[in-house]
Amino acid sequence: MPFTNLLVAVDGSEASNRALSKALELAALTGAAVTALAVEGPLPAYAATVGEVDEVKREKDAFFGGLARDVREQGERAGVPIDVDVRPGHAAELISRVAKERGADLIVLGHRGHFLRDHLLGSTADRVAEHAECPVLIVK
Amino acid sequence: MSSLALATILLGAALAASMISVELGISVALIELGLGVAIGNVFDVTTPEWLVFLAGFAGILLTFLAGAEVDVQQLKREWRSSTAIGVVSFAAPFLAAMALAYWGLGWTSDAAKIAGLALSTTSLAVVYAVLVETGLNRTVIGKRVMAATFVTDLGTVAALSILFITPNVWFIPFVGVSIALILGLPRLAPWFFARFGDRVIEPEIKLAFAGLFLLMWLGAKADSHAVLPAFVLGLALSSHYASHRTEQERLRVVAFAFLTPLFFLRGGMSVSVPALWANLGILVLLLVAKVVPKIVGVYPLARRYCAPHATFATLLMSTGLTFGTISSLYGLNAGIIDETQFSLLVAVVVLSAIIPTVIAQRFFQPDVAEEARRDAAGIGGPALEGEGG
Repeated sequence: MPFTNLLVAVDGSEASNRALSKALELAALTGAAVTALAVEGPLPAYAATVGEVDEVKREKDAFFGGLARDVREQGERAGVPIDVDVRPGHAAELISRVAKERGADLIVLGHRGHFLRDHLLGSTADRVAEHAECPVLIVK
Repeated sequence: MSSLALATILLGAALAASMISVELGISVALIELGLGVAIGNVFDVTTPEWLVFLAGFAGILLTFLAGAEVDVQQLKREWRSSTAIGVVSFAAPFLAAMALAYWGLGWTSDAAKIAGLALSTTSLAVVYAVLVETGLNRTVIGKRVMAATFVTDLGTVAALSILFITPNVWFIPFVGVSIALILGLPRLAPWFFARFGDRVIEPEIKLAFAGLFLLMWLGAKADSHAVLPAFVLGLALSSHYASHRTEQERLRVVAFAFLTPLFFLRGGMSVSVPALWANLGILVLLLVAKVVPKIVGVYPLARRYCAPHATFATLLMSTGLTFGTISSLYGLNAGIIDETQFSLLVAVVVLSAIIPTVIAQRFFQPDVAEEARRDAAGIGGPALEGEGG
């Protein structure tokens, strides 16, 4: 049975661009709907100044605003409409949760190492593969 | 160790702290404090006069920035709930920690006051980060907690300025100049910034710095502390900065690039790990003296003003970081508390930034969409205080 509802995680990295391309290919073949989920990482925990939080938030808003535009344009070029969802939170937890919320039947994401944090905690792809309730395609 | 060698180590640590902060998503200040602890305990360093001086100014600048970041309109709208929660949030741990330090731990009365002040605070920045990250800053509960946090901090800086005054002839010019700056600068700012602002030589930052140094100098001559006028001056200029974000951003760049790292590193350097290890029981007692009175005092009010998320609001009000560190450092610099007492207070302040936040986020975080629906439906007393009187 072909996939009908894809959730692709995007963050602007090389690996996530490859994952998006693969999701668009799949969607073009199967006619599946595509949701691109961009996860705004957490703001600095235990901040000492409002300024520090504000600046990071502003940078994130600008970055993810641009990313959402790029993803939509890429979808238009491929002839696949994309619903872009930008949410704050922790990537692995949120990807699994949004996939469930939206009834996704396949999660597509890149295999990327955020060098220090991933070595400490394991990569996002590993954790999504472990916790998601639907198939997961990890694009290398 | 020579001044240059120490400066090199400190700026290297500040650079490392920034990189670690980006990688781990933890506040740079907390990492700077931690690296300061490492430097102070690994190297045989006596804190030089220039570092004490720069860190002292950075503390005042942090206070000014905290005042400048207050949303005055929000505070006016939420004045009744925020005053009730904020006053209790300041007074309960202040009295409890002071009593514990004086009667329970045998600290001097002035050292006990510093303990009370350091543990009375609520961290505006920690609260703000939690609320913004979840989107709760746009809800009534979020706005009330933010406004209450400001009131608590105002209590702390007011008490820090007032409690240690030994009145002398300099007190009059200190108060006079403080009032003149607080009333005059907001009126002068539009003209000054239009005429001299937006230049790479940064006259507007120099104006702010000159005002703060003047307050520090007069405060020292008056045997007081410039935190209260610096905070209120920031507050008086907050509306100006709100409409001139670029100026605020430049001020933050100067502060965060050089001055505030020295403040937190210097704070960390004076924390003695052996002293903490030897006094773990007292550390726990002081943490209890901060958090329990906050919970006991704030929770009933939070049930009234922040229902159904009273526990979440109460836990956020139990956090502390910057003003706790500023108060402790003031006590250390003034010779009111010793290094062991300072170490204990800073450790408790850092723990109070982490533990209540983790518990609030993990177990009591409200559903922001549900809160927005409740606000729209007017359930739970939306922000009508200012509008309704």
